[in-house]
Order: sequence, then structure tokens, then C-alpha cells
Amino acid sequence: MAYLADLAALTDQLIAAIASSESVPKPRGTRLEARRESALRTLRYHTFGRTNQFEVEDHLNGYEERFRVIGRDVLADEFRSRLDALEPLRNKWSPEVLHFILELADQPAQKSDLAD
Amino acid sequence: MPSDERSEKQAAAQQAVDILHEISTILNCHLDRRSLSICISMIENGVNPEALATAVKELRGEVQQTQIEATSSANAPAPRRR
Repeated sequence: MAYLADLAALTDQLIAAIASSESVPKPRGTRLEARRESALRTLRYHTFGRTNQFEVEDHLNGYEERFRVIGRDVLADEFRSRLDALEPLRNKWSPEVLHFILELADQPAQKSDLAD
Repeated sequence: MPSDERSEKQAAAQQAVDILHEISTILNCHLDRRSLSICISMIENGVNPEALATAVKELRGEVQQTQIEATSSANAPAPRRR
């Protein structure tokens, strides 16, 4: 029960954070309730497998290689330096967090800008 | 001292979040630091990362829909009165 309460509270915070980053007013009342229920359904009743840390590593190395292949060596160097810096700070959740980030990656080879 | 140890752990966790945020920026994930912190907390609470990514994409879709609705209702001509 405490887990569900924590999850609902974090989901509310996430909804507010996403809405504020897109400059949309925070949802209230039934709209917030509907979004929270929809997100909680996705989070609780899914059929996704567990994270494979070796696949995550391969995927990350693949991005570095792709950046180099298309001549974006500076981006590849920056990416590699961040991965190396993360190494001593890794904990048991790091593969899952990196998996999450990889799922949200949006054509970085074409669209990423170091100025960001 | 335990409090020193705790503050060291907190500093390391903050540093890890900073680096993860930079990685997410390089991969063009459209995540701000606050959203990423919340997502990391959710993952540490046992949420599946792929399910969380799906939920984030769905929420973004809904938020964009809200934006479109708000813009179209603001641009809609006011109803004429007779």
C-alpha cells in the first residue's frame, strides 16, 4: 500500500514537471486524476522484460560509434567522457536508469546539439 | 561520522544525477533535471524503465494535446451575438 502511495505521489510530481517544462498549466481535478490513472496503469500493468545490463552497454557503445561514423567526434568524446565519469558513481540501479534514458533517446546523431 | 558519510553519499548521488542529465541531453531525450530526478526515484522504487519511458511519452502526448486545445480555443473567433 505504501508502495502504491509513493508511486502515485511520484507520478503526480512527474506530471507537474512535464507540464511545467512544456509551459502548460498543471492539471487539476478530474484531468489530473485521469492522467495519473493512465500513467499508473502503464507503470503497473506492463509486459516489458527486465533490463539486460550488457545490452544497455552495447547500446551506449553503439551510439558512441555512430557519432564517430558520421563525423561527430566531439559529441562522441563528450558522450564517452560522461560515461567514464559515471563509472565510479554507478549503483545497482544505473543499468535501469541508462535503459530508461536510451528508451527516450530521440535521433541524437542527427539532432543533438552540444550547445544544449 | 555518520552525518559526514550521509552528506558524502548525497553529494555522490547529486553528481550521478548531473552526469545522467548530461548523458540524456547528449541523447536528446528532452528531459529536464527535475523530471529526470523524479524518474530516477521511480526506478529506485522498482518501476520498470521501459514502462516508465512509455508513460513519459504518453504524458508528453497528452500535454501537447492540451497545448493544441488551449491554442485553438484562444484563436477561435468569439461567438457573435445578435
